[in-house]
Parts: sequence; C-alpha cells; structure tokens
Amino acid sequence: MVVATAVNVDLGLAGPAVSPPAIRMVDATLRCIARWGVAKTTLDDVAREAGCSRATVYRLFPGGKDGLLDAVARTETERFFAGLAEHMAGAESLEELVVAGVGEAGRRLVGHPALRFLAACEPDALLPLLSFAQKDRVLGFASSWAEPWLRPWLGDHAGRAVEWIARLVLSYAACPADGIDLSDGESVRRLVTTFVLPGLARLAEDTSAPTSRGSQ
Amino acid sequence: MPLTVRDDARERILAGAYACVARYGLAKTTVDDVARLSGLSRATFYRYFPGGKDQLQREVVAWEVRRFFARLAEAVGPAPDLATMLVEGLLYAHRALIDHEVLQKVLQTEPELLLPLLSVEANRLLPLVAGFVEPYVARAPLLPGLEPDQAAGYLARMILSYIEAQGRWDLTDRSEVERLVRVELLGGIVTG
Repeated sequence: MVVATAVNVDLGLAGPAVSPPAIRMVDATLRCIARWGVAKTTLDDVAREAGCSRATVYRLFPGGKDGLLDAVARTETERFFAGLAEHMAGAESLEELVVAGVGEAGRRLVGHPALRFLAACEPDALLPLLSFAQKDRVLGFASSWAEPWLRPWLGDHAGRAVEWIARLVLSYAACPADGIDLSDGESVRRLVTTFVLPGLARLAEDTSAPTSRGSQ
Repeated sequence: MPLTVRDDARERILAGAYACVARYGLAKTTVDDVARLSGLSRATFYRYFPGGKDQLQREVVAWEVRRFFARLAEAVGPAPDLATMLVEGLLYAHRALIDHEVLQKVLQTEPELLLPLLSVEANRLLPLVAGFVEPYVARAPLLPGLEPDQAAGYLARMILSYIEAQGRWDLTDRSEVERLVRVELLGGIVTG
C-alpha cells in the first residue's frame, strides 16, 4: 500500500550497502517506476524487467516491495552523492565548488526519470519523504555529507552554509521559476553568484556562536 | 469590492468543511457532512463544487493556507523595515505552525493526502509571499545589480523553506532568528 511504503522507505539514510545482484533489481525497479510510478509497480514487473524469476526477486528482497524500495532509495542516494563528489573534486575556488555541487545536484534531480514521473504523476509517493519533519532529516543528512567539502573554505560555518545551499537546491528543484533552471549551468552560476556567494562572505564574517541545534 | 452572495455562501461552506476536517480528518469529511452542516442540499452543494470531494479537499486546504498567511501578514504588517519584518515573520510563522492543531493532526494521520494538496498551494504561495515582501525590499538598501523582484523571489523561497522545517535552527529563539535573517536571508540582498 502506497502510504505504508512511503513511510517505510524513509529515504534509507543509514543502512547496509546493496549487493550487486540486488542492484540489477534496483535498476529494473527504477525503470518501472519511471514508466508506471511506485504504486503500480509490482514485483512481477520488476522480475520481468530484470529478466529473472519472481523467486529470485523474493530471495533477494524477503522484505517484499518495502524492502526493495528501501534498497532503491539507498542506492540512488549513494549514487547522487557520489556524483556530486566527482564533480566537486577538482574545484579550485569556493565559487567553483558551489557551482559544481549545485549544478550536478540540479541536473540529477531535474533529469532523474523516476523522480520526474513521481513529481508529475504520483506526488503522494514523493512528498511525504521531503516535507516538514522529513525535510529536517533530508537537510540534516545533506548537511553532514557536504560539510567536509566546505570546511576548508568556511571553517566552523560550513555546516550552516551547506544547510542553506541544500534548501536552495530543494526549493528550485521542487518549484522551478524565476528564470532559474537548475539543470542549466549558466542559470546555476547566476543563482550562486547573485545570492549564495555574497551571503557566504557575510557568513564568514559572522563571529557569533554556532546555532543551538547545529550539532544534530 | 463587496463579496457577492455566492462568494459569501462559498466562504461559509469552506468554513464548515474546515470544521469537519478538524473533527474527522480530510479523507473522512464527506460531501454529505459538509452539505448538511451548511444547510444545503447535495444538488446545491454540487453547484458550488462540481468537482465534488476532490475539489472540496483542494479548496479547503487553499482556504486555510490563505487564512494562515493573512494572519501572518497582519502580525508583521506594521514592521518598519525588511529585516524586522522577516524576523517577526519567522518567529510568528514557526510558532503558528507548531500550534496549528488541525495541520499537525492531519500531517500525523494523513500526510500522503495533505502534502500533495499543500505543495500545489506552495507553488501559488511563492508569488504571494514575494508580492508581500516586495514593498519592504524596495525600501531596503539593495546590493548593486540586484532587482527588487529577484530579491523578493529569493526571500519568498527562503521564508517558506524555514517555516516548513527549521533544520539546524531554533526558530523560537529571537537572537538565532536575527542571525539567520542577517546572514542567510539578507547577506546576498542588502548592503552592510
């Protein structure tokens, strides 16, 4: 049932790695979701798409559809951040770093076939993972991943900076508007240089104590 | 412009629908419940809401979202400048959302039903909040090259983001909110 599924997926933010045979199932599932969404994708569909038997799917995912969706979320999350790391690795300035990170995040979020289907046709599968209390968790997770990247440039302010940038990415990815297209490099550079960099400079000057919940 | 009789009736129906949602939740509020509460026949009800229950759910969410932001606008309206307005606005909105019993209950029990309806409203809210912010932005010392409507659009996104989820911040703490406004919100917007 979609409700239980959405709540159980929980973005899979911490859990064991997904084994290679299971990754084939994950990719097959993603192709199914991109076509039919989460609710209408059955384990039979996944088996057919992966070219294996139902029994194989059940063997790899004894937790059934919930377990499979959990693995999908964890795999895609890992891939997402690995992709960001690849693009951010060569950056030689703070501007380059932020533009690379936001640009890659934007391209991946906007262009992801399964995400696009869900955003357009099955928002009730996606939004509970990204709203209110869940948004807090997503921001916290993205912040702790990205913080070491900004630390060399911003020191103790890195955590604040990454949460702020993550909010921008989520906002523009969810509601594209104002002429900013996160999948377009020029748009991203404009966004970063207009709103982010001056703010980061101001942040670096801010000598007050970190926020009270900052260690979370 | 005075409300027409039809608008007035629509308002009363939505107020009644909201009362039902508060009691029974979104899914369990039926057309019959609302029609009965509003003293209307089903037929009359469907003249106002030809889309039935789906349309009613969409509109009652939109109705309360509009009222929430009207209350917010009234609370911060008198602010003398942009920074003060943003600080008072975040403090008020954060508290008001936590204290919003119907929202919290529906978020707890029926998030998959409410959230898509809210996110449709969020897309309409962006220009609404940007429009509210713009006069304050126009009076503020903007960084060179920045247009008031660009700044207002950015601030609207940030306001909605922080209201929805406070993240690493404690938005009940005035000094934290002041810091957030000065740096994250206005750091790239105003001089000094």
